[in-house]
Amino acid sequence: MDLFDIVTQQIANSLILGSFYALVALGYSMVYGIIKLLNFAHGDIYMVGAFIGFTALSLLVGFLGDGWLGISASLILSMIATGFLGVGIQRLAYRPLLSAPRLSILITAMGVSLLLFNTVMAATIGEYKAFETGLGFEGLDFGNIHISYTQIVLVLATALLMVALTLFINKTIYGKAMRAISIDMDACRLMGIDVNKVIALTFFVGSALAAAAGVMAGVYYGSIHFFMGFIIGLKAFTAAVFGGIGIIPGAMLGGLLLGTLESFGTQLSWIGTEWKDVFSFGLLILILVFKPNGLMGRTEIERM
Amino acid sequence: MAANDGSGAAVARRTGLAGVEDRLAAFFDDRRHRYAVFAALILAGLLVPRVGSNYTLEILTNSFLYIVLCLGLNIIVGYAGLLDLGFAAFFAVGAYSTGILTSTFGWNFWLAIPPALLFTVIVRVIIGAPTLRLRSDYLAIVTLGAGEMIRIIARNMKDLTGGASGLIGIQRPSLFGLELNQISHYYYIFLALAVLAVFASDRLEHSRLGRAWKYVRDDEDAAEAMGIDRVAVKLSAYIIGALFAGLAGCFYAAKMTAISPETFQFMQSIMILVAVVLGGMGKIAGMVVGAMAMVLFPEVFREIGSMRMLVFGLILIVMMIFRPQGIWPDRRH
Amino acid sequence: MKKIGLVFAAAALATCLAAGAALADIKVGIMVPTTGSEATYGKDMENAVKMAMDEINAKGGVLGQKFITTTADDGCDPQMATAAASKLTSEDVTAVVGGYCSGATLPTLKIYADAGIPFVITAANSSKFSDMNPGNAFLVNAIGSFQVETAVELFKKQGVKKLAIVHQGDGYSEDLASLTQKKWKELGNEVVAYELVNKGEQDQSALVTRLKSKNPDMVFWTAYYADGGLLIKQLRQGGYKGKITVGDGSTDAKLIQIGGKATEGVYALANPLPEFLTTGQKFIADYKAKFKTDPGPYSALTYDGMLLLADAIKRAGAVDRKAIIAALKKTDKFPGLSGPVTFTDKNLLANSNFVVLQVKDGKWSLVK
Repeated sequence: MDLFDIVTQQIANSLILGSFYALVALGYSMVYGIIKLLNFAHGDIYMVGAFIGFTALSLLVGFLGDGWLGISASLILSMIATGFLGVGIQRLAYRPLLSAPRLSILITAMGVSLLLFNTVMAATIGEYKAFETGLGFEGLDFGNIHISYTQIVLVLATALLMVALTLFINKTIYGKAMRAISIDMDACRLMGIDVNKVIALTFFVGSALAAAAGVMAGVYYGSIHFFMGFIIGLKAFTAAVFGGIGIIPGAMLGGLLLGTLESFGTQLSWIGTEWKDVFSFGLLILILVFKPNGLMGRTEIERM
Repeated sequence: MAANDGSGAAVARRTGLAGVEDRLAAFFDDRRHRYAVFAALILAGLLVPRVGSNYTLEILTNSFLYIVLCLGLNIIVGYAGLLDLGFAAFFAVGAYSTGILTSTFGWNFWLAIPPALLFTVIVRVIIGAPTLRLRSDYLAIVTLGAGEMIRIIARNMKDLTGGASGLIGIQRPSLFGLELNQISHYYYIFLALAVLAVFASDRLEHSRLGRAWKYVRDDEDAAEAMGIDRVAVKLSAYIIGALFAGLAGCFYAAKMTAISPETFQFMQSIMILVAVVLGGMGKIAGMVVGAMAMVLFPEVFREIGSMRMLVFGLILIVMMIFRPQGIWPDRRH
Repeated sequence: MKKIGLVFAAAALATCLAAGAALADIKVGIMVPTTGSEATYGKDMENAVKMAMDEINAKGGVLGQKFITTTADDGCDPQMATAAASKLTSEDVTAVVGGYCSGATLPTLKIYADAGIPFVITAANSSKFSDMNPGNAFLVNAIGSFQVETAVELFKKQGVKKLAIVHQGDGYSEDLASLTQKKWKELGNEVVAYELVNKGEQDQSALVTRLKSKNPDMVFWTAYYADGGLLIKQLRQGGYKGKITVGDGSTDAKLIQIGGKATEGVYALANPLPEFLTTGQKFIADYKAKFKTDPGPYSALTYDGMLLLADAIKRAGAVDRKAIIAALKKTDKFPGLSGPVTFTDKNLLANSNFVVLQVKDGKWSLVK
């Protein structure tokens, strides 16, 4: 492999990785934007989404096969089911705490995370599940570079979801309500907006996106397990802050950039895989110190 | 709507346990009462090794360790209002410094403590100083990232730290010619540390600095307008909090004789924070209760095995909904 | 405060009651992780001890006494492990069988040694045990350096010139990786890459590209099957054409399940798995019948460990810890499922029993 091959292949790698980060980061960002909560359980929602998709696919495989048709159907089923799970969590665990101190709701989120994580662990007896599909390694070859059709479809699907989300936020009345609530919740309430409904909707959309990422990751990597949400949750959280938390395009950009940084960080011989995470966290700290509102954030003064 | 939910729960509680709780609070507001109860607890603590099994001692020693850690984090989160998600890093620096100085360089354990604390402060300042002006959420992620960085550095610098297997065979210290190698020895040491930490916290809370911390926490701008140097005040909270963790780390290394990066993972920082919030931020008695609950819960529920963390998650949620201010809250707010 | 004291008193009382019951039985402690990410392996080991115990008890026990067990969860965490060890010590167990995570097992050695309790370690195998062993711990699993010898021999036989090593940043896999690196370099060969994969991280494509650009003939994965299966799949997906070997933590049918057809031709170093031993067939059948699941990678060793302990008690002639330790030391070619057990003067397994396996048609088969 010459330098050109390596660079091109790493760009392809980072697009896939970045897409997953971005989808999960969107959920963090949307929830933060609207109720200023760092939803620690979001990585676990991604994991639960993957398991729901896995269950759906194993039920549907007899009718729709294990190709793209079956996968798409279970993806949509998982997005809906996980979306409702997100709404349920919000209703039971977060809504009673909206006016409580910020830390209390953060701890609740950790509790939800522990609950989801351990429930799935108990249900799977801690085992990894092989997510078997009919997709192969076939794809396009450019010299030493190999890009499979699965990779292309996943990146396109992510792009589609993001376009749909952007349209939803910018063009619909619900999107408008979300944006309004993130600016001033009390004023919105006075204006007659059903704030609770809009918050629930935000959780639905955020969780559904995480579920989409979870199912796609299951399909792509071929195995799922109960702690798959932990690392990606941490990384997506980083990506969301990186891009400017609460800002939708920021989360997308942050995810893609973090994916790129990691892929190239892995490649650089003077860093090495052992130091990869030190590299990405270190860079994040530097950016936050010198550009404290994230890449796309507005400058504002805020207190705890 | 949402505002009603929170206070609604509070009103419901008032009618039930309110009387007992208010009287308890009034009782503990008196400094003499506080000290009397504290002295009684210490006395009881000193007598435990006469009746308890090694298992009891081990668990209580662990709780004392967490009391020190919680009181340290309480200074940062509870008094100064700075959310720190990487607190285990300073625990790690203390433990690793002591381990390396004693086992690799052959230092005496007691002489290794001051340099270990110095390293803790240096690391704290390096991580803390540039981040003090950040927004609270960014502070959370920066401290989280820094905590993970410290753990990864400990894992990767193999020649110094023993890599992923960790430092093994750390020398046991001795005190007046007695080698400290029994769990009962460490029980007394950690009891002493916990008492020291409680005492120090109490003095700090009511000192000029303690009031400055709370002032900055409650209204940063007003505090600054009153002539408080908020950067210096926050940094001092960071350093003093980290010192608690560093000191706990020194003795932890001696007690375990083997330390590895896994002990200082992100989950460790989270568990300490959870204990702090569970107990009731900003309240010393709350830290003691929170730390004990944190350690005792998994032990008491050993029998339900893998389900216990699930139950723990559930308790956290229920607790936060019905009593968000913690088991033993700071009532002055 | 009051409530917590009460709960604690109740717990202490429960412990006392548990310790006081059934004095005539020989109580064996099982220390394994039953919670956390390593819980699967811990459960496998617990099952194996119980199965061995039931078989011994069915034959009338040892010295006329029957075995009972009590399990303490170490959670693969040093702090939880020391608490678990103290709990077992307080319950006055005669001996302890188990020990899965080296990092969690090491700090407990001192606790058992102080109480004079013999400890048969059946999975943990860090090379650090040889320096840390106070004399009461016995390793039934061969330590890393034996595995390295088998690995290096395999690499030489395969004509490997450029070796890439990948580990997972935990004590066990890093130990194996660094020992292999050292040995391979001593023999005058080249290690072109020495890399790390985070546990649970799914995307390894960047690492695959990096490995490919170094052009190794052999990739050696030293950690566990779950992430190993993923790495192998992504290596093949990314167009890596060279050979692959995995260490004993990955020698599991699930590696093939997760990695799919990408695992075809992968070499593995293994403790003799029961399925390749004639004596093992009965073990597998019994295990499946009893627990409705396949035995895990350390089940056979743990089963051996419990039988060895019973044998040592019989040879000691008394349920006396000191005599049991002495008897364990004198173990001479105890016929375990995974080969004869004899200990060195450091209580490590004297002879390596590692074998090489290869995936053929989606199944492990023995390489002669």
